Amino acid sequence: MSNVAISARRLSPGAKAALGIFARYGTIIGLLAMIATFSILSPGAFPTVSNFTNVLNQASLAMIIAGGLTLAVVVGELDLSIGFAASLHGILITGLVVHDKLPIPLAVVIVIALGAVIGLVNGFIVTKVKVNSVIATLGVGTILTGLAFAYSAGVPIVAGVPEAFLQLSLGRWLFGIPNNIVAMIVVLGGLWLLVERTPLGQEIQAVGGNAVAARLAGVNVDRIKILGFVISGMCAALTGILLASRLGSGTASAADSYLLTAFAAVFLGSATLRDGEFHVLGTLVGALIIAFGFNGLNIFGAPTFSQYVLQGAILIIAVGMASLGRSLAER
Amino acid sequence: MAAPFLVARDIAKAFGGTQALKGVSLDIAPGEIHGLVGANGAGKSTFIRILAGLNHPDAGRVEIDGQGREIGTPQRATELGMSFIHQELAFVPGMTVLQNIMLGVPKKTRFGLTDWRAIARDVAPIARRVGISAPLNAGVKGLSTAEIWLINICRALVRKARLIVMDEPTASLAASEAERLFAIVRDLSASGVAVLYISHRLDEILSLCTRVSVFRDGRSVAELAGDALNRPALVEAIVGGAIRDVQRAATARQRGDVVMEAKKLTRAPKVHGVSLQLHAGEVLGIGGLVGAGRTELARLLFGADRPDSGEMMLMGRPYAPASPAAAVQAGLGLVPEERRAEALFLSKSIAFNLGIANLDKLAFGRYLPLMNRRARTSMAGEMIRSLSIKAQSASTPVGRLSGGNQQKVAIGRWLQRIPKVLILDEPTRGVDIGARAEIHRLIRQQAEAGMAVLVISSEPDELPELCDRVLVMAEGRIVRELTGPAVSRKAIVEASYLEPEAVMEDHPA
Ligand SMILES: Nc1ncnc2c1ncn2[C@@H]1O[C@H](COP(=O)(O)OP(=O)(O)OP(=O)(O)O)[C@@H](O)[C@H]1O
Ligand SMILES: [Mg+2]
Repeated sequence: MSNVAISARRLSPGAKAALGIFARYGTIIGLLAMIATFSILSPGAFPTVSNFTNVLNQASLAMIIAGGLTLAVVVGELDLSIGFAASLHGILITGLVVHDKLPIPLAVVIVIALGAVIGLVNGFIVTKVKVNSVIATLGVGTILTGLAFAYSAGVPIVAGVPEAFLQLSLGRWLFGIPNNIVAMIVVLGGLWLLVERTPLGQEIQAVGGNAVAARLAGVNVDRIKILGFVISGMCAALTGILLASRLGSGTASAADSYLLTAFAAVFLGSATLRDGEFHVLGTLVGALIIAFGFNGLNIFGAPTFSQYVLQGAILIIAVGMASLGRSLAER
Repeated sequence: MAAPFLVARDIAKAFGGTQALKGVSLDIAPGEIHGLVGANGAGKSTFIRILAGLNHPDAGRVEIDGQGREIGTPQRATELGMSFIHQELAFVPGMTVLQNIMLGVPKKTRFGLTDWRAIARDVAPIARRVGISAPLNAGVKGLSTAEIWLINICRALVRKARLIVMDEPTASLAASEAERLFAIVRDLSASGVAVLYISHRLDEILSLCTRVSVFRDGRSVAELAGDALNRPALVEAIVGGAIRDVQRAATARQRGDVVMEAKKLTRAPKVHGVSLQLHAGEVLGIGGLVGAGRTELARLLFGADRPDSGEMMLMGRPYAPASPAAAVQAGLGLVPEERRAEALFLSKSIAFNLGIANLDKLAFGRYLPLMNRRARTSMAGEMIRSLSIKAQSASTPVGRLSGGNQQKVAIGRWLQRIPKVLILDEPTRGVDIGARAEIHRLIRQQAEAGMAVLVISSEPDELPELCDRVLVMAEGRIVRELTGPAVSRKAIVEASYLEPEAVMEDHPA
């Protein structure tokens, strides 16, 4: 630490400004550098429209769930239930469509409403019962896993999935753009608009920035926090639905791993453009870094384990460099 | 004079595009009480943060005992014999008084474990000397700002500091506590410890300090001592010209109808049976000692806490706000006591901080719930101008402003909203004389326009300058009402020490 302090003292104002810029744009520079590197190393396979579309299409589900998580962390809480919730939603929608033969739009509405209810429960436990959000959402998530197993009796629902349901995720209804991407753009665009451009969004940011001050400024803090959880829950539901449609099946733990990916994206995003604050655009950049990193390694045939190592390493390096750069630049 | 303990020469420091210090110089002799004054944003806090090793100067030189030193880190500053009590007090809420005193101090150990008992024995006399009344093993949660101050001073003494720097020590102390602090400061000085004393209160500076340095816009512009050290000279050096001294408002202003009324409000243990009436167009002061229950009363009125018993009326109708949000809807506003913890979003822009209580004015419309960012920026620009907030632009994060300028943002939020009832808890804490006059003028202007204003202040001169009427609280009760010409510093201070039981009877409820 003291070594860092000493070197910081010798930094010229210009170098400090450069560090400050690096702290803010480091992740974006990293993303572009990564894309450039992969493009040079694999000019035939990587930098193609179809590969980019493919990467985006794959990443869209993670982006949607991470976008929801962003709202929960922006209001100052954590939501660990999203992955488990998405798994449950996946099974549920498959069951509703295959067994109960519900019309697909109705099933979708029901499942998303359930996502909202789960968020409401999370929010209620956190704000009214005053349980720490890590505990509350972990507890709720665990219960949801149990419910998922109970609903499917432990057996994945694979048979009899109608083609129309598969088209939810696989279709290209709008100008030939994959539905996943359209959904992602609509969701993230909507969330960005909500947080950054509406009066309600100002309250959302205020609650995350300083809940005590927000309360004394007349913001209904509990309501805003609950809203954050509800949005997080609804996004988890959407991801669960699209995943089930893409896989053509409902499995009790299909979406669990989205929790880690979503957290990685959100925290990478907090190191982007703003000084350690969570925001929707940052989450998008974070998710893109992870997606392109995985894709690049895939193209080179890197083993699966290396992808996880990469994800963990990128996260620590990016967030660490940003905060270090920031503290050096501020002195 | 003795060889100086500390010499600072031509210190400069920029934060991004803001040149906070352009070249300041200062020297302090052992045992000297050296004053440091200057308007909000003049660079005082930045200067001492550099001495403390928290910021690194871009240029300049620091000598301690005649030797050039690079301070570098807070630990180094401590080793060099300097101790700091910053504008924003340092303490850890979850720890005991003793643990807080020993924060960052090398501790005695026994068998490798911290020997708290031996430490307590060593610290106890020092704690007595500065007058810490809480037991050393008590938690600091719930202690008053004054007591936290004493803990900080005690920490400096335990570290055997040769220079203690105090950034606006009395900003949050009551008159009696301030007196005790002055006694401690004089005592320190007599024992050879130098004190660098930063304050906006010129009376204190004049009575305590032998020499005073003045900063203006990041430069040292004057060093006054002896006969040259007087109030007009200080004021002129601070603002760079003469300023009219603030006069007592003392206008027999039209008082309107009762807007807000409280009947026998009680919330144990701080507020007992408080009744009051607040009229439109009046500035009502609440005086008394820190800890008399004034902040707690304000919180009841604002719905931040619920009363145990008693009732309130607003505009003639029963009023029982379930939350501050409800109070704001009903037409109240509150500028809380602790701006950083309770009022501001430090990482957010000035525009954000001002806008947060005015969102209804910033939407494009009912059916288009988008924020009008241009309106927000121009609204912020207006406030920045009218309160002369020193900042690069409306998008500057509030955390980068100097303490006084942060306070102006906290107040500006409500001046923008124009509530029916505005409660201000220590509104000019840490605000320089020019801005203080401006804030007072704005408060009176709002009152003239019909707002009912309630001001809590521990600063002896503030209520007489500002208020038409003053209620004095002691131990959670209102012990005296002063009106018109009877409102004076002396009367307020006297009443602050009244025994509540003795006067309960003759106070008109
Ligand atoms: N971390 C920072 N980043 C950017 N600007 C800063 C930072 N800290 C201080 N400044 C700027 O430096 C200038 C001097 O601030 P400083 O806090 O030293 O003033 P001050 O004399 O202590 O004022 P006050 O009486 O209001 O406390 C101000 O214009 C402030 O906005
Ligand atoms: Mg200051």
